[in-house]
Amino acid sequence: MIGQLRDKCRRLLQDGAVQVVIGYGGASTPDGMPHPIFVRRPDDVDKLVWNDRCMSNLTTYLTRDAVKALGKPAIVVKGCDARALVVLEQECQIDRSAMHVIGMACAGVGSPRAPKCASCDVHVPALADEVIGEAPETTGPADSPYSELEEFLKKSTVERFAYWREETARCIRCYACREVCPTCYCRRCIVDKNRPTCIETSATVKANFAWHVTRAFHQAGRCTGCGECTRACPVGINMRLLNQSLARAAEEHFSYRAGTDRETPPIIGAYGLEDKESFIR
Amino acid sequence: MSEDFEPKIVAFVCNWCTYLAADLAGTNRLEYPPNVRILRLPCTGRVDFNLIIKALEMGADAVVVSGCHPGDCHYTAGNYHARRRWILFRELLETMGVETDRIFFSWISAAESKKWQQMITEITDQIREMGPYQAYHEISEATA
Amino acid sequence: MSEMIAQEALPGLVDKWLAQGKRVAGPSVVKPGYCLYVELESSAQLALEGFVRPRNSIKEFVFPRHETVCRYHFSGHTVETEDCDPPQSEQVIVGARPCDAAALPILDHLFTWDYEDKFYTERRKATTVVTLACQTHDDECFCTSLDLGPAAEQGSDVLLLAMPGGYEVRCLTDKGKALFAGETRTAEQAAVVPPGPPVTVTPETVMTYLQASYDDPMWIDLALRCLGCGACAYTCPTCHCFDIVDEGTAAGGCRVKNWDCCQFAMFTQHASGHNPRPGQSQRQRQRIQHKFRIYPEKFGVMLCTGCGNCARNCPVGLGVLSTLKEAAGHGPVEVGS
Repeated sequence: MIGQLRDKCRRLLQDGAVQVVIGYGGASTPDGMPHPIFVRRPDDVDKLVWNDRCMSNLTTYLTRDAVKALGKPAIVVKGCDARALVVLEQECQIDRSAMHVIGMACAGVGSPRAPKCASCDVHVPALADEVIGEAPETTGPADSPYSELEEFLKKSTVERFAYWREETARCIRCYACREVCPTCYCRRCIVDKNRPTCIETSATVKANFAWHVTRAFHQAGRCTGCGECTRACPVGINMRLLNQSLARAAEEHFSYRAGTDRETPPIIGAYGLEDKESFIR
Repeated sequence: MSEDFEPKIVAFVCNWCTYLAADLAGTNRLEYPPNVRILRLPCTGRVDFNLIIKALEMGADAVVVSGCHPGDCHYTAGNYHARRRWILFRELLETMGVETDRIFFSWISAAESKKWQQMITEITDQIREMGPYQAYHEISEATA
Repeated sequence: MSEMIAQEALPGLVDKWLAQGKRVAGPSVVKPGYCLYVELESSAQLALEGFVRPRNSIKEFVFPRHETVCRYHFSGHTVETEDCDPPQSEQVIVGARPCDAAALPILDHLFTWDYEDKFYTERRKATTVVTLACQTHDDECFCTSLDLGPAAEQGSDVLLLAMPGGYEVRCLTDKGKALFAGETRTAEQAAVVPPGPPVTVTPETVMTYLQASYDDPMWIDLALRCLGCGACAYTCPTCHCFDIVDEGTAAGGCRVKNWDCCQFAMFTQHASGHNPRPGQSQRQRQRIQHKFRIYPEKFGVMLCTGCGNCARNCPVGLGVLSTLKEAAGHGPVEVGS
């Protein structure tokens, strides 16, 4: 697969079809995670790698000024990454026709395997301009993407609050979760706002809790479950659980799954005349 | 809980419907508990759900969001947006263990002063029974 | 001949210090895969092996993520303020790594050079650092390139070195001697410390290179993958930038001191709207220059202990070492292989 990828990218760059390839490159240690790289010269395509440690979701770079300035990109995506492209397109953040998307067939990443991989149904990326690799052998149907959530919801309200109190107490407000996320692209995040301050910058349980409520809610109907936020967190806050909660709500209430269909309007920003309101007085 | 506990209830109400209903309750001398602090907004569609969190952080024991009936929004669709958001936000809060039975959503039109009176009275009694929202107040204590 | 304690004695000491009313912090596995320095409630939480080093650093015990420096309230047209005193309760950090302990003397310069920051110095005075020499390292460690090593003593009050049956105890300061007084027994052997990572960079050549590279366009390419989060700075033992903000209402509030990160886009945003470091390339350049040129030019020490936390915690695998190596590919000076 890597040979095919490099050849393809070499041709794209040589022909001037793209000016930069956003892909995975060398790691800084022998077993480390490949770093995102930005290849501009055809000779440098040999720096591209592809293996089961390619964790990053490279679509997060598509909304960054310094990367946009490099010119028309080709981007290497896994199935989970590619779904973010749909959301970015729905929200007019990317011009899908102005990029070349190379999907890589993927059997899963991380060792041990990342939790998201157990429920993957996009081993072969959809909506790519081309796909390299064959669908992997899978052992049985994918797990439900909400299995961890369902287990968690067996806890009582009091237990849940105690759990999140402990999780958010560890938060150091580094915003790694925000920066890795492809759909967190606001130039000025709500936490950077003062006059008035919506969410305090202090790393107290109060403000951390408010940050995590907000971060999750701003992903409602937009998160495509790539899990990068949770992987990036230096202190292990289980943000995937919150994302799963909202994703399940979107599916149950609005039959909506983010990142699958660019024609359906996003659920936040749209409304339904028939939205249920059994809990409204 | 102590006999003296008086709930603090924060209500975000829309200017065109519920606020007028509360005003009408006043002119009609309909009595309802003084525990509610009314915050007037142009429309429930303006309610950023951070406001609900802020109210809890600042010591509220319950939060009410109330506006025009669907179809009657002064700005046509603001309440539809609020309703859509609330359906999702409620699920998130439940996953996070926030007591959603302390958060009330309602449609009260400008003529429904009685409904406002009844709702606030019921909610105040209910929250007095439930006691202060201790769990949230504990995390809101600032640490040095 | 050396002084030692038995392996089982260390948790016992932790419980003893807790019972004495001291705050005790040490590494703990807070959830699978995440070992962090945390304040301990009992020795049962203490984790001493099975990992290279915790993901965070001990700086938060002398330089907290958030603290209140003064309170204020408005009455009429006047403002009343009330200064907050830093806590003076004694604390012990047990199981620190040498690369964490060595950061403290480095930070001392910054917090005392033009103004004594009592919020730091009082905590520092009240802290005894019990360091555990490293038995292992990984590919991100480079302490040896910064004149440190698995048994480096800088910043430590006591150094514990694993040996058969327990730990060799080297009390390096009066504070250390006071803490372990009467707790050790003599042993025939001394501990053997495994070698640390091979040296990969020389700070002096890095500094020379950085002095010449300020306008080098390579900083633009280098910073492309940086996402501008704070994972590196907040887990770094030596990064120390902070922001002073007021948090309150119309009635009053607190003035607080919170960690800040030079990689955030708003870090150097001026009230006028101008931002002297508007792009990630300027911000990344500043970070490397600060650590390996500006700070040593001012204080004579590198603002880095080679712990590797930046690389391990970076979501995209950047770290100062790999940045220096990559930068070296563009510069005229050999940084190392």
